[in-house]
Amino acid sequence: MQHVIVFVEHKAGQTRKVTYELATEARKIADALGGKAHAVVLGPGSSSLAEQLENYPLDVIHVTDDADVDKYLYDPAIDYLEAVAKSTGPALILLPNTMLGRDVAGRIAARLNAGLNSDVTAFQLEGGKAVSVGPKLQGSTVVASGFKNTEYGVATVRPNAFDAQAGGGSAHIANLEKPAGKAYAVVVENEVEEASGEMGLEEAPVVVSGGRGLGGPDPFTSLLKPLADALGGAVGASRAAADAGWVPYSLQIGQTGKVVSPQLYIAVGISGAIQHKVGMQTSGTIIAVNRDATVPIGEFADLLVVGDLFQIIPELTNMVQGAKAHA
Amino acid sequence: MKIVVSVKLVPDTNAAKRIDPGTKRLVRTGLETVLNPFDEYAIEAALQLKEKLGGDTTVTIFTMAPESGKETVRKALAMGADDAVMLTDAGLEGSDVWATSYAMAQALEKTGFDLLIAGGLADDGNSGGVPGALTEYLGVPAITNVRKIEEAGDGKIKTQRETDSGYQVVSGPLPALITVTMAVGEPRYASLKGIMGAKKKTIATMSLPDLDLDRAVGTDGAKTEVLEISAPKVREKARVVEAADGATGAQAIFDFLRERKLV
Repeated sequence: MQHVIVFVEHKAGQTRKVTYELATEARKIADALGGKAHAVVLGPGSSSLAEQLENYPLDVIHVTDDADVDKYLYDPAIDYLEAVAKSTGPALILLPNTMLGRDVAGRIAARLNAGLNSDVTAFQLEGGKAVSVGPKLQGSTVVASGFKNTEYGVATVRPNAFDAQAGGGSAHIANLEKPAGKAYAVVVENEVEEASGEMGLEEAPVVVSGGRGLGGPDPFTSLLKPLADALGGAVGASRAAADAGWVPYSLQIGQTGKVVSPQLYIAVGISGAIQHKVGMQTSGTIIAVNRDATVPIGEFADLLVVGDLFQIIPELTNMVQGAKAHA
Repeated sequence: MKIVVSVKLVPDTNAAKRIDPGTKRLVRTGLETVLNPFDEYAIEAALQLKEKLGGDTTVTIFTMAPESGKETVRKALAMGADDAVMLTDAGLEGSDVWATSYAMAQALEKTGFDLLIAGGLADDGNSGGVPGALTEYLGVPAITNVRKIEEAGDGKIKTQRETDSGYQVVSGPLPALITVTMAVGEPRYASLKGIMGAKKKTIATMSLPDLDLDRAVGTDGAKTEVLEISAPKVREKARVVEAADGATGAQAIFDFLRERKLV
């Protein structure tokens, strides 16, 4: 493989932040492989999103505003992506390791008879090859995996693992033609928004997460949300909190939930069992607040404050807000 | 309706994993094989649908695993599934996502289904790529991340599909593949009756000669190869601060954030 193709995830006119990380990394990989860096933006609103991407060091941005991409589940998107991959030639396709990215990755890998490396946190670029590196087995090992016997490779990339750097953009925008002779059957009849502003928990630079110690749903909004807002982050939760129905499963971080890797992770009233650890152990700085000094999270957090979270968190929120006001 | 649930057997998810620094392999001693936790939700969704539809609806467990996985498959049968099919062959060892999905698809085509249900992710590999690849090889419609099956039957399925910020109502024709999220409901425990009954249920096996493969699987067919395994960066134990009151605790955190230039 020689070229790199970035699959752009977006919603409601917003490109996911991880796209910029992928675009930046795509340039480096394409240069190492001696190929071009492409991006694919599909569905309504894509033309204006492509303009935002022009600041990034890509060679070609493939675009269609075709409404079918949103109307039918994934089949049109897969067809477009396949068409781009085939016209580009042997390539590494980069997708975010998100709900959408994983769904598309498995399908396009099969469609192109390509290898799939998942949850990648680094690429080793030596000898004209791209080797994917990422955690496996609940973070107990780090595996370096290459591609073989294949013209195409597919990699899902963990958000926040790579830096995004704007600049050097001179991309040519190419409008995609609709693949002919396709019929689509899986219909999105209706879309319902339940949580607003929580999109991209995986991408938040700061995550403030709550667990069993919160005792109910209210402290998530009254206690954690103000602290997350003050720090410019998002609210997450442990499995115990999601199972108890205090927050939707979309906020759950862990082995059976989302995997996050923010600069700062604050675990409030969370013991830090393996289930949770898997979802956040690669965070930059981990701070835990718990009334029990012997919780497992003390084994791998950077700071464990033992005390009453209901007193500590509001005080901390005030301090952070105060610091921001003086900044 | 014939429901097939595709499950993966994984090393015990709650046990701490350790890599032998000499062999660079997972230390398997004392590690039990269990059902991938996500797949228990897929089984739960299938059993709920069977209860709702009644009649001649059946639930078949499908897995690609070594023969030794049979006892773990029995646990799925004890939850209430009717029978199981195992794809077992030494030639499958070393299969990656591509080779695994390709072999599974051939076996699933022989097994037959109206609805194929899978968990969203496997917790050892975490690729989430197999259901998507199966969709392609089987050539069936797919609905991913289903949190509720609203209707299924008469050649049609209607679901609520989880998104990052809510849900979508998505429908399509049967036969189809769906993946489910944890929101379908907590997996049931096997009853004593279920456990006893599972001993009599059929676990059919298939091996590679039973399939019509036209490409290599196993290590030879894989499109990826592990080049190196290393231990992750070990995090140190936390600095511990006992906070007598809220202000002390908050100050300790705030100072720490300052120290690390995070505020």
